[in-house]
Amino acid sequence: MVEVNEISKSFGDVTAVSRVSFRVAGGEVFGLLGPNGAGKTTTLRILATLIKANSGSATVAGFDIDRDPQRVRHAIGVVNGGMGLYDRLTGREVLTYFGGLYGMNQQQMDERINQLDELLSLGDALTRQTGDFSTGMKQKIVIARAVLHDPPVIFFDEATSGLDVMARRAVLDLVSEFARQGKAVVYSTHVMSEVEELCDRIAIVYQGAIVAQDTLPNLLESTGAQSLERAFFDVVKRSGLATELVS
Amino acid sequence: MRPGIIRRIAAKEILSTLRDRRAIISNLVLPLVLLPVIMMGMPLLLGGLFNREAASQTDLAVENLAAMPAQLVQLLDRANVSPFEAGDVIAAVRDDEAQVGLVLPEDFEALLSEGEAAAVQVVSKMGSLSAELNASKVQGAIDGYRQQIVGERLAAVGLDPSVLNPIIIQPVDASTDAERSSGQLSWIIPFFIAIWALAGGQMTAVDATAGEKERGTLESLLVSPVSRAEVVVGKFFATTLFSIIAAAMAIVGYVVGSMIMSNVVGSRIGGDGAEIVALMGGSLQVTPQSIVLLLVSALLLAGTISSLLLAISMFARSFKEAQTYVAPLSFLLVIPAVALQFKDLLDLGTWIYAVPLVNALMVMDDLVRGSIDFANLLVTWLSLLATIAVFLGLAFLNFRKENVLFRT
Ligand SMILES: Nc1ncnc2c1ncn2[C@@H]1O[C@H](COP(=O)(O)OP(=O)(O)OP(=O)(O)O)[C@@H](O)[C@H]1O
Ligand SMILES: [Mg+2]
Repeated sequence: MVEVNEISKSFGDVTAVSRVSFRVAGGEVFGLLGPNGAGKTTTLRILATLIKANSGSATVAGFDIDRDPQRVRHAIGVVNGGMGLYDRLTGREVLTYFGGLYGMNQQQMDERINQLDELLSLGDALTRQTGDFSTGMKQKIVIARAVLHDPPVIFFDEATSGLDVMARRAVLDLVSEFARQGKAVVYSTHVMSEVEELCDRIAIVYQGAIVAQDTLPNLLESTGAQSLERAFFDVVKRSGLATELVS
Repeated sequence: MRPGIIRRIAAKEILSTLRDRRAIISNLVLPLVLLPVIMMGMPLLLGGLFNREAASQTDLAVENLAAMPAQLVQLLDRANVSPFEAGDVIAAVRDDEAQVGLVLPEDFEALLSEGEAAAVQVVSKMGSLSAELNASKVQGAIDGYRQQIVGERLAAVGLDPSVLNPIIIQPVDASTDAERSSGQLSWIIPFFIAIWALAGGQMTAVDATAGEKERGTLESLLVSPVSRAEVVVGKFFATTLFSIIAAAMAIVGYVVGSMIMSNVVGSRIGGDGAEIVALMGGSLQVTPQSIVLLLVSALLLAGTISSLLLAISMFARSFKEAQTYVAPLSFLLVIPAVALQFKDLLDLGTWIYAVPLVNALMVMDDLVRGSIDFANLLVTWLSLLATIAVFLGLAFLNFRKENVLFRT
């Protein structure tokens, strides 16, 4: 579903992404784990065709990100923590707007909104203007908007930031549910516990590069560590990138 | 570019703007109400002032009141001026005991009867409109007296007073009906159209660019399968719509104001008032044809302003930042609009009709005055269309630049 080959991206003399490669299959949750500034958001923006890589290539749902960006965008849903909504539109109006942009007709939208209402318990978020929503309620509509067109690939980027325990739980459960539906999910975060719980495979990203990439058990075994956190530091130290890190 | 997608993007911006009640009131409703109020207020205030000062009693502090000839006392009385004796005239005026002061020489009557010249001083607080109106009443009376004496002196040597007036100047007005009725303040019509077109377009443009960034919706819009060109064009149509509606509201407000002014106010405040009504373009006569041409020109102006607004406000990360970027634009419109009133003096060549924005103001002024040249109109329209294309291109580039979209 997602194939990334050696993509790199610099902003001026900052190398944000350095020769990143990975593959994600349908039904799989792939974790991008890394500290602030590691290059996770930049990687996902390149895959979402928002910005262009300096080198490397990638396909999403079989479409090349450089040659077929419009089809790629049709095949993905993007959720990130900083996303907002049009505050003078109701939840339903936001969804209908985007449904229209995805080429859905009214009947398709109504059916899909009912489906998502059941899955996400949208309730009166559909009928109220989004300006006075709680963060959790907002995030539900953001997610509904991202998967409205039922894309085969979904990117989550710090999707739980700012959410309370309940809302966070709801989001994590949804991620598993989308994978169960056969979607390929890329889940980017700096929160170890979320990755431990959700991800089938994990890429540890540090200073723009993937320094290790495997299943959780394999990562623990190869580093001999007891927890993902210990394994993370171990891998980063061994990569030789982290001269400032001390164990 | 798909028209259906462009329509959806425009429709969303329109809905979003319509729900912004504060912006709608201050940009669409306010010009409708404010303009008639301003237009009526001005002549009422000024006309009222002239009439009131003419009718009201003016106190005149006089040094050497005893030297004042009876004829002058009579003339002053007719002008509603009541003289009284004061030791220090300047102090009396300064302390507001009298609006005007007059210093007569002790031998005033003797000088005049001997055929000499006598100097008198008229004291007032200059720079105050009301004081100057009062002083002019006094000067008028003295001038009347002076002419009497001139007449008497000429008669004494057997001459007719007309020897002092060998040439009589008669001004004849050759302006067209439209020019005459548009008045000297016709430039305020293009001025109002321009500033409200800017205000109306601004609310949508800023919301549709910096607003998308501030709310965090831009990324979701750009990851949907729409092209950036569709996004820009959709937002451009919505912005232009509100820009032209605001301009239309200003025109409607102006027309309503003019009607009220010439029908109600004009008749109430009499002579001076009617003059001011005409001066403000209150008796405007515009043909249906020029209204259509005016609307097309206003629409192109609105489009130019809107595309420029989109290109600029896309740089901003927040509403606040966008407002500071956009604020200087009003100077770009206000300065040439105000300069329009001196357009006869400025001796501009026809090249001015190729300068975007300025040319729109020029042709709108020409249309209101009924003195449009169609070659100039055509040059203006083409220049505005080209400018819209350039600014839309810039806006499109800004929607593609990574460092503009994701400035941190
Ligand atoms: N538009 C940009 N212009 C300049 N530098 C940028 C830009 N976007 C990202 N960077 C830089 O690239 C590097 C990677 O940033 P990125 O946002 O991808 O990291 P991240 O892993 O998502 O971190 P975070 O946890 O903070 O979200 C950082 O050093 C960042 O400062
Ligand atoms: Mg990030």
